[in-house]
Amino acid sequence: MSLSYRIAYVFLRNLYSYKRFIVPTFLVSLVEPLFYLITFGVGMGAYMGSFGGKPYLHFLVPGVLVSAVMMSSSFECLYGTYIKIVHEKVYDSLIATPVSADEAVAGDIVWASFRGLVSGSLMMAVALAMGVAPASPFRLLFLLAFMVFIGILFGSLAMIVTSVAPSFDFFSYYTELVVTPMLFFSGVFFPLDRFPGWMKTLAEFLPLTHAVRISRAVFTGEPAAGLGWSFAALIVLAAVVFTISIRMMRKRLIK
Amino acid sequence: MIPLVTAAGLTKKYGDLVAVAGIDFEIHEGECFGFLGPNGAGKTTTVRMIHCVSPVTSGTLTVGGLPAGIDNRALKMMTGVIPQEINLDNDLTVQENLIVFARFFDIGRNEARARIAELLRFVELEAKSGSKISELSTGMKRRLLIARALINRPRLIVADEPTTGLDPQARHLIWQRLRQLKSQGTTLVLTTQYMEEAQQLCDRIVVMCQGKILKEGIPAKLVEDEIGREVVEIRVPPEEDGKVLAELSAFPCAHERVGDTLYFYCRDGHALMRKLIELDLPNTLNRPATLEDVFLKLTGRSLHE
Repeated sequence: MSLSYRIAYVFLRNLYSYKRFIVPTFLVSLVEPLFYLITFGVGMGAYMGSFGGKPYLHFLVPGVLVSAVMMSSSFECLYGTYIKIVHEKVYDSLIATPVSADEAVAGDIVWASFRGLVSGSLMMAVALAMGVAPASPFRLLFLLAFMVFIGILFGSLAMIVTSVAPSFDFFSYYTELVVTPMLFFSGVFFPLDRFPGWMKTLAEFLPLTHAVRISRAVFTGEPAAGLGWSFAALIVLAAVVFTISIRMMRKRLIK
Repeated sequence: MIPLVTAAGLTKKYGDLVAVAGIDFEIHEGECFGFLGPNGAGKTTTVRMIHCVSPVTSGTLTVGGLPAGIDNRALKMMTGVIPQEINLDNDLTVQENLIVFARFFDIGRNEARARIAELLRFVELEAKSGSKISELSTGMKRRLLIARALINRPRLIVADEPTTGLDPQARHLIWQRLRQLKSQGTTLVLTTQYMEEAQQLCDRIVVMCQGKILKEGIPAKLVEDEIGREVVEIRVPPEEDGKVLAELSAFPCAHERVGDTLYFYCRDGHALMRKLIELDLPNTLNRPATLEDVFLKLTGRSLHE
């Protein structure tokens, strides 16, 4: 792989472009968490009694935080990158400069992670305003760093899909068959222990399950089983999908 | 003369399709070198290999003594590219397009600001610096592409059909700028389908067809060698060919029928013209031979699709 500090230049290009969309994207990023936290947390939570001695909202927030990061970073690397390749030809002009195709792709993944961080932070701000806060300020900082990592992971996964996408419609397979189901089978909205055994096993193969487990443990400060494994699994997966995504995008970009 | 670009047996394949079929050429430092050819001839593929965005399948290609390759940053640093397709960044303003590009080339903030002001003047876009790309005309966009290609003060400029879709004013302005760059010592590599453009700009050209180089040379000399000095066109129905040709058999001119027209290629068309006036044929034309005649002779008159 040919990666260098030039990744930052690609990030900078995206930042310039972002200036024009900053208000609408902030609004969307703010409305989405309100929607989740109010409908599920407050509305549904009222019927659900307490989760481990606390209101349902406290169970919900750590999971919704990482799902928001997953959603933003995935969409950025699906639609955002596809537009830059096929419609706007940004990649064509980039790879004719000393910035390599690998750096262009890595820069977009880092950018997607930043977009994830923005969504996650806004979600966190809403949660704080609703009185749901991480157990300590240090834990808050750790969660922000964790969001960056989760953004890289899901950005890279989405990038692999984009590398083979013939058109926009192709993304529906990924969003409807992978991303949305993952949201419901990863313990975001309810604990996994009510699932039958095979479904629990299946859930262990979903990266979001591990991200939610880590987020919840860090947020609440309550120890959870298998945290070390969850961390190790996500780090290995992120390294693998990041490498594959760059390889596959290089195939699409260089002919 | 020192060659800046040297290709030997240069080949590019996409699967089974041979886009460039083992060509040899040398581009000298400071000259304008043109690739001419119909659509699909392999011109763009060739220049994409020169500016290192498309890998060479086989053969050798060196630029400034270094082998061309997609990871060769040193070559990309010294090359400016004016692409065929307008790929300006629509999310950014004119100024921002250039700022971002300057960063790609490691140019510092202050240096970039100075160069951008100078380049916008050079392409006459100072007044548009804060405009969105969508507010520019096609001619302005093409000029901005030139400014963008010059941000790194390139030693080599690759211009892939730089005046496609432009009105004559815009085209002439771009030609002037390209000539100006050449006079400052920049080497230009140009692809074009416009023979006038090649004649205006190029010191040497190659005519390509189906991935091969058919002919190489100085434009004016190619015209003289391949066609002669003058062309006489007679628009008569093919049935009268026998009669006309019998009358004109004494003249030392090659002839060819294409569609509704008989073409005569002569050193000097005057005598032939006098005879035609005497025969009182309608629809005759005597004109200087051009590169277009060479092009059509070499690549054939059928459509290349």
